[in-house]
Amino acid sequence: MKTHRTKAEERHAYLLMVLPAVLIYFAVVAFPMIFSLWISVSDYSGGQIFGGSTPVRFAGFSNYVRMWNDRYFWISLKNNVYIVLLSVFGQIPLGFILAYALYRNMIRAKGFFQTVIYLPCVISSVIVGILWQTIFSPYGPVTEIMQYFIPGWQNTMLSNPRTAIVPVLLVMLWYYTGTYFIIFLANLQKIDKEVIEAAKIDGATEWQSLRHVILPALSGVIVTSSILAISGSLKSFDLIFAMTGGNPARRTSVLALYMYDTAFRGAPNYPRANAVSTFMMAFSFLLIIITKLVEKKFGGREE
Amino acid sequence: MRTIPLTIEDPLKKKKERHQPRTLHDEAGFISRIFFGLILTLFAVLSIAPLIWLALSSFKTTQEFQLNRLGLPATWFFKNYPQAWQIGNMGVLIKNSVFYTTVSTLAVIVLSMAAAFAFAKIKSKATPILYGSFVIGILLTIQSIMVPLFLMANAVNLLDTRLGVLIPYTGLGLPIGVYLCTEYVKGIHDSIIESARIDGAGYFQILAKIIFPMAKPVISTLAILNVLGVWNEFMMINILVSREALKSLPVGIMKFSSALSSDYGKQFAALVIGLLPLLLFYLAFRNKITEGVSAGAVKG
Repeated sequence: MKTHRTKAEERHAYLLMVLPAVLIYFAVVAFPMIFSLWISVSDYSGGQIFGGSTPVRFAGFSNYVRMWNDRYFWISLKNNVYIVLLSVFGQIPLGFILAYALYRNMIRAKGFFQTVIYLPCVISSVIVGILWQTIFSPYGPVTEIMQYFIPGWQNTMLSNPRTAIVPVLLVMLWYYTGTYFIIFLANLQKIDKEVIEAAKIDGATEWQSLRHVILPALSGVIVTSSILAISGSLKSFDLIFAMTGGNPARRTSVLALYMYDTAFRGAPNYPRANAVSTFMMAFSFLLIIITKLVEKKFGGREE
Repeated sequence: MRTIPLTIEDPLKKKKERHQPRTLHDEAGFISRIFFGLILTLFAVLSIAPLIWLALSSFKTTQEFQLNRLGLPATWFFKNYPQAWQIGNMGVLIKNSVFYTTVSTLAVIVLSMAAAFAFAKIKSKATPILYGSFVIGILLTIQSIMVPLFLMANAVNLLDTRLGVLIPYTGLGLPIGVYLCTEYVKGIHDSIIESARIDGAGYFQILAKIIFPMAKPVISTLAILNVLGVWNEFMMINILVSREALKSLPVGIMKFSSALSSDYGKQFAALVIGLLPLLLFYLAFRNKITEGVSAGAVKG
């Protein structure tokens, strides 16, 4: 039975344990999020926010409207959509295939393959960006390899505004597939091997056991990975910043880079930058909700 | 183990074979093995080929690289490394990155565990709101706090200071940290805590002497996620810090993207130096890291 004294001690301990984390979290994450919403509907243009010579006023949704009418916003959004599609229909399936192959013992030296396939993921994205910029540049090895097959081939991959996003997408496939590979491998190993053996005894082929046993058991993981892929894709910044800087002619820009350019390059436009980041947040939530709905409608039965 | 035939079978025949129910096998069929084996090998080669190319090229002079972009170095040239080290100020960058990563990771672990213990084991009406607000933070896009953080850091004179980097890094690590730790501590039996209470232990003693040792698995997961995240973080520190002496490795190495992009030998050496610390960390703890990454991919 609890006495009055222990109740007080309990409350005291709770407060002391929770307070440091809560204070820091609210100061640098929760409050800035609300602050950002407020900036996005203000006409703040730098300088002191409160008590400055020019008071900051409410500007309604004008920053959102201006963002909406900016063609670079749409170019960036389009590239983000490409990246989301690539991650959901490229990285996730490829990651799954690679994980499945290891899981079903299709090859020797499993440890080696696991180590090597995940390896790109631990390199800083800035280093990956600089490395691939050189690889794809006219002076890089891609030019030499292509000229071996097609003599006189001109390398305009990164300088042609219409195609510059393609090398970026290839690098993303190279860089991020390992993450999904590792997630699928870990979850495949949780599936009871006896279920698969039982299916095989009943005469199921490799394909049938994959389709009717393994994929349904993984439906939750597939949804989780998709959510991870969507929110990760919308955040992508460092790699493109280092690889192309959003160029040529801002054609490889993404929303995060558009936001960064708006806020920190040239004349800063903080309200519009925060309109962009708020849009990113909303767009990310929307895509996640759609993913959840798709799961509800078509999702397999989880064990 | 069966040997893999070198000829690729007729696709029509393969289709026919699929429909025949197969008898018990402990291993996958021929065709699957070839198909999956090829994809695995191809992807594994593509994964490391660029890195091997980078390492080899870092031992060429820039002149040699322009004539010989793919092959082995004709003469192994080692001077790129000391030069890149000096130009890039690599010693300072690595020291700073180690500092930011270790301090913020330790802070995230201690603060997350303390909050997790309270959320999971001490009843309070505040828990649903507070814990819920941490969980929402997992979905945060860092861009939406970028401008406010910059303005706030500027207002309290924390721009270009170590503390001004550490506090946001700790705050950003907390949502996933508090979530993982709380879910883990919930799984520890109440009876263990109750019997310690009866023996007269205070809550902080229980946290330090019982909960921390029991939570080692989740702490290692959290440490790995945080080390990878903070070490590679670029956008925020790039905005909050501009003094050379405080830059982290990813920010400092950007110098080799623009200013020195035609001096290939040094650029390659700098990239190798830049990726080595985390590569060694990965090779040393690869099983723990892959476990941690998959455990950190929490259910959305």
